[in-house]
Amino acid sequence: MKNKFYIIFFIIFSLNSNVLFGAASDQVNTEPDDFATTKVEDEVYDPIEPINRAIFTFNNAADRIVLEPIAKGYKKLPSPIQSGISNFLSNLRAPLVVVNQILQGQGGNAVQSTGRFLVNSTVGVFGLFDVADKIGLDEKEEDFGQTLATWGVGDGFYIVLPLFGPSNLRDTTGMVMTMMTDPINAYVVSEGEAWIVPMRTAANAVDQRSKIIDEVNALRDNSVDYYAAVRSSYYQNRKAAINNTNDDELTPLPLISIEFE
Amino acid sequence: MKLYYYFVIIIFFLIPNQLFADEPSNWLKNEIDKILMAYQNKELPNENRFLMIEQTINNNFAGTGIAKFVAGESWAAANNDTKKEYIKNFKRHLALNIASMMQGYSDQNYKLSKSKIDQKNQIILIDMEIFSETGSVVVTWRVKESKNRYFIIDLIVADISLVVTKRSEFNSTLKNVNYNLSKFNKILLEQNNESYQKIIE
Repeated sequence: MKNKFYIIFFIIFSLNSNVLFGAASDQVNTEPDDFATTKVEDEVYDPIEPINRAIFTFNNAADRIVLEPIAKGYKKLPSPIQSGISNFLSNLRAPLVVVNQILQGQGGNAVQSTGRFLVNSTVGVFGLFDVADKIGLDEKEEDFGQTLATWGVGDGFYIVLPLFGPSNLRDTTGMVMTMMTDPINAYVVSEGEAWIVPMRTAANAVDQRSKIIDEVNALRDNSVDYYAAVRSSYYQNRKAAINNTNDDELTPLPLISIEFE
Repeated sequence: MKLYYYFVIIIFFLIPNQLFADEPSNWLKNEIDKILMAYQNKELPNENRFLMIEQTINNNFAGTGIAKFVAGESWAAANNDTKKEYIKNFKRHLALNIASMMQGYSDQNYKLSKSKIDQKNQIILIDMEIFSETGSVVVTWRVKESKNRYFIIDLIVADISLVVTKRSEFNSTLKNVNYNLSKFNKILLEQNNESYQKIIE
């Protein structure tokens, strides 16, 4: 009975939906030269692609075996605990965000981020609660890679870093600068508690990964070239971050025309 | 009671889109709800669920235009049969991608938070904010109007355009087959079969 119902349902559904509104979209046609008129950049400078692909394969395996299962487990924690950990880690990044905002000449944002850090570190109990967000002090991320880009440093070539994932020459330099100048890391090392540094990095990775489980899986399961898809995604995301893209300045608009036959 | 429920679903899917197309946000909400509803109905067999979603996506995305855009320069050299086969494969590929993405959002609440018109490019941008227990994510839909109908031409998650990503991904694979669309069709078909098995399992 159930099977019969489904069969009837889909026959009716398929027939009617095509008749009512499906046919038109199947007849969508485009101008013959659309592909040639686009200004979207296709190529990313990737001279060490074979090496990058090998590292990417390793990272992908590490992600499947280690990071993703941990991130899925982390997702099962009660949401206040997840939010608390995420807020705490984010608050630890705040001093360097302020430094980078100053270096990029974003005085207003630097004041706001300083306010966020002070409010969340005190009223927000060491950053566990994002009280600042509730009083209108929004979170804004800036790093040394973005600062270098603002100063005119180009991307350099694309690099896939073992465990850290997609990057480029400039952003890798920025990441090293972050590691060397982070005041929290410097403090724990000076106190003889250097083990906290990799633990913090791992916690950040799990927290960030847990936020994009579905998106990564959708990309991984449906790409003809997952490596190229991640590379393109990385560049688009970084470009938007560097330009501090708001809603009005989205990624380049593909020239896709619609005509009916 | 159960029959009544099915009846409501059937009617919901059969109502012509244009009844909801007073403005693009309403139209988009209606189409997104169709997809999410297919996921929320746990009694539907996975194969049928995907077919429903694929139908909705094919009806509302400018599939052919996007297919041609992502094929890049390989389009010009291909013959008509290859182009037709590629468009068919691409539409399924697009449906698998969107369905897979929306699957993750199916148990979350959302609202269409903002709609604006890019006058220069004659594009409508609609923001969809999806809420989870620990935060929210914004998906921006790029919509184009043609002959009193709306078509989705791209969607953007975390500043990443699906169409731009696909073009880059396809370009990388096409390069390995000397931009031969016919050879690429085989790769795409194989990937589609693999993705399809994952989505229906």
